[in-house]
Amino acid sequence: MDFRRSDRSGRPVDRAEAERLLDAAAAPAAGDADPLARLLHAAAAPSRPAEMAGEEAALAAFRSARAAGPAADPPRRRRGITTGLVTWVAGIVTLAAAGVAFAAVTRDRPADPQPPAGPPASLPEPAAVPADGGDSGGPTTPAGGSATAVPTATPVGVPSPGATSGQPTPTGTPALPVGPSASASPGVPAGDPRFRGQCRAYLAKSARQREKILTTPAFVDLVAAAGGADRVEAYCQRLLDSGASASQSPTADPTGVDD
Amino acid sequence: MTGELTEAVAAAQAGDEGAFRYLYRSLQPGLLRYLTVLVGPDAEDVASETWLQISRDLPRFTGGEFRAWTVTIARNRAMDHLRRQRRRPTVPVPVQALSEMAGDLDTAERAGETIGTEAALALIATLPPREAEAVLLRAVVGLDAETAGRVLGRRAGAVRTAAHRGLRRLAALLDRQDASRPAEAEQPATPPLPRRGQRAPDARAEPADG
Repeated sequence: MDFRRSDRSGRPVDRAEAERLLDAAAAPAAGDADPLARLLHAAAAPSRPAEMAGEEAALAAFRSARAAGPAADPPRRRRGITTGLVTWVAGIVTLAAAGVAFAAVTRDRPADPQPPAGPPASLPEPAAVPADGGDSGGPTTPAGGSATAVPTATPVGVPSPGATSGQPTPTGTPALPVGPSASASPGVPAGDPRFRGQCRAYLAKSARQREKILTTPAFVDLVAAAGGADRVEAYCQRLLDSGASASQSPTADPTGVDD
Repeated sequence: MTGELTEAVAAAQAGDEGAFRYLYRSLQPGLLRYLTVLVGPDAEDVASETWLQISRDLPRFTGGEFRAWTVTIARNRAMDHLRRQRRRPTVPVPVQALSEMAGDLDTAERAGETIGTEAALALIATLPPREAEAVLLRAVVGLDAETAGRVLGRRAGAVRTAAHRGLRRLAALLDRQDASRPAEAEQPATPPLPRRGQRAPDARAEPADG
């Protein structure tokens, strides 16, 4: 009660005293009689536990900012350059592949109106993909770039074997009429050399094991190529025989799946 | 104090977690109290937003008064918060909370205890905003008039004047509270806000049975 009747009452705070009080607020209050000084001391009192409730959250923010922060600036710049580069390279590769495809198709099938329409249509599509990949950011971009190169490359490969070999029906043949040199890429449909290893493995098994092995995912392609599980044996015999009777090329075996 | 703070800032910028903890413990009370007066009960939310930004922008702090830098961030976050709040249709009721806290002031003083920090802040919050900010930055955050002026975008002289006026107003409030206390002694539930000068009509109008 007494402090209420102190010298504060009725007397206005002058400017110098105001400065003194403001400066002294943070200093420990030593039984101040002045209610205004007490008020300021109370406002600037030492922290209480409740006020520090956010300490761990702030430290977590500090930690995550440290984890993300230092890496944030330089990589952003570097990423910009790489994405630009990847986009350019992908675009050039796409254009080159499309050009090759276009040239191959138009030269080999001058009468056919459809293939020329194909490659130009595929042109804008892959070009758009690297742009998206570039926005999404760093590590995914190279994958996106190479991925775009693959789809454009396959159209090049597909029309060429049929065209260069000059055989309209490659499926029915016992395969590899063109020789092992062509076997690497185009001979996919029938006498695929990549089945040789599987065929050898298959033929090496006992009858019971053969049934079982054909149900495994690894042999799905072989079964499909043979046209059914019951025809795998004949298919494999034919494949291995033809491979042996034809020139046993050094490239054919390494491409095989076995070992 | 300032030297320790500067050292801690440099260490925290280098990744020292303990230094950052020290910064938090040194600065959080002042920031939170300042924010309490600016935004009321949402102060803790705004304070955590502030610390989020401090930890994110710490590498970009290039020297100067770190305390002022953090207060500027806190003030900007508070202004954003108030802007967002104004856009919302519902009006928050910090007045109610403040009057409750100011009620604590009465209770504490009647019991002869020291004034609680909340009660003191509640009383400062009744000042006009410029004066309240000047008083808080000077007395609670611990900035000098020049630095406080930089934070507030005003001249140091203007800050001194505002703080001075604020203190005079606070002194008058304390006196008036003291004078009117015997009449209210039997009614502890009565919010003390209506007793405060020209703002009294507003204060009475808002919390009335609200």
